Amino acid sequence: MLVSNQITKTSAGVPRVAVGILLGVLAFGVFIVGFDQGEILGFTVPADGSGGEPGTNWAHEFYHDMRHAAGFPCH
Amino acid sequence: MKTIIFIAITLLAGAIAGTILGAINQVAVEPYIDHAVELEMQNTNQSNQIINPAEFTAYRLWQRGGEMLAGTILGLSIGSLFGIVFAYTHNSVPGSNNKKKALIVAGIMWFVLFLIPALKYPANPPAVGDPETIYYRQSLYVAFLVISGFSALGLAFLYRKMGALNIKKAIIPAVYAAIISGAYLAMPANPDPINAPMDLVIGFRITSAITISMFWGLLGVIFGTFWDKLNPSKTARISVR
Repeated sequence: MLVSNQITKTSAGVPRVAVGILLGVLAFGVFIVGFDQGEILGFTVPADGSGGEPGTNWAHEFYHDMRHAAGFPCH
Repeated sequence: MKTIIFIAITLLAGAIAGTILGAINQVAVEPYIDHAVELEMQNTNQSNQIINPAEFTAYRLWQRGGEMLAGTILGLSIGSLFGIVFAYTHNSVPGSNNKKKALIVAGIMWFVLFLIPALKYPANPPAVGDPETIYYRQSLYVAFLVISGFSALGLAFLYRKMGALNIKKAIIPAVYAAIISGAYLAMPANPDPINAPMDLVIGFRITSAITISMFWGLLGVIFGTFWDKLNPSKTARISVR
């Protein structure tokens, strides 16, 4: 008679690599959507040619509406 | 735990929920933002600054279009935090399946990271807010967010340490309420006056709060469904004959 058992091993540990990657995504995403005032890509030419003043940077403006809608402070 | 599957379902759930948030905001929140930006432009015109209508239209298209991608990125980042919290807590969260557990975790995170900070520093449409105070307002918002988030985290550890003590169900929420009440009273208010019409501001706040709340609910449902289907906690199946 053939007996077959299947053991499923469940691990409670959370991989540190995954936590590190996800924390990186968290920090980057929250900063650019919620807090960037021209620091990210501020070196690029802003839409009005003002040289990267806060509030005029194109990357800042790209996330502008979601920043307001998500409750982050904005200009 | 299967690292790749865990990261994949976390990012995918966040991206889907965030993209849906961006799409719904196009219909629900954008009318308020459009109105507020028009008010800003009227104020700018009154101060004798010249605005090119074609440039203004392109500028608004850029901002509106960006909201979709911004929703995806915000979803990815909030989803990442959610995934980490769920991975560490799902074994101690009540619920018959992971979808229910994920909804409970999402509800707690929504309360701690969105609702509580919003009660002190509510969302404002573009016509509200002085550019000169932006870094100060950001500092206040982050400080309140950190107080709420880390208080909840610390109390969650304490809740676990208290083991089977029934009194913890009353003490832990009471301590959190005391910390938040103290912070609410101690921290300064938003320094900027509200010069925009209050019906616009209140309508914006309610609508954006509804869509963000919906995002948190969606995130929980989508993430929990993925977790149930792909269960990254299961690492190996060993057949013995």
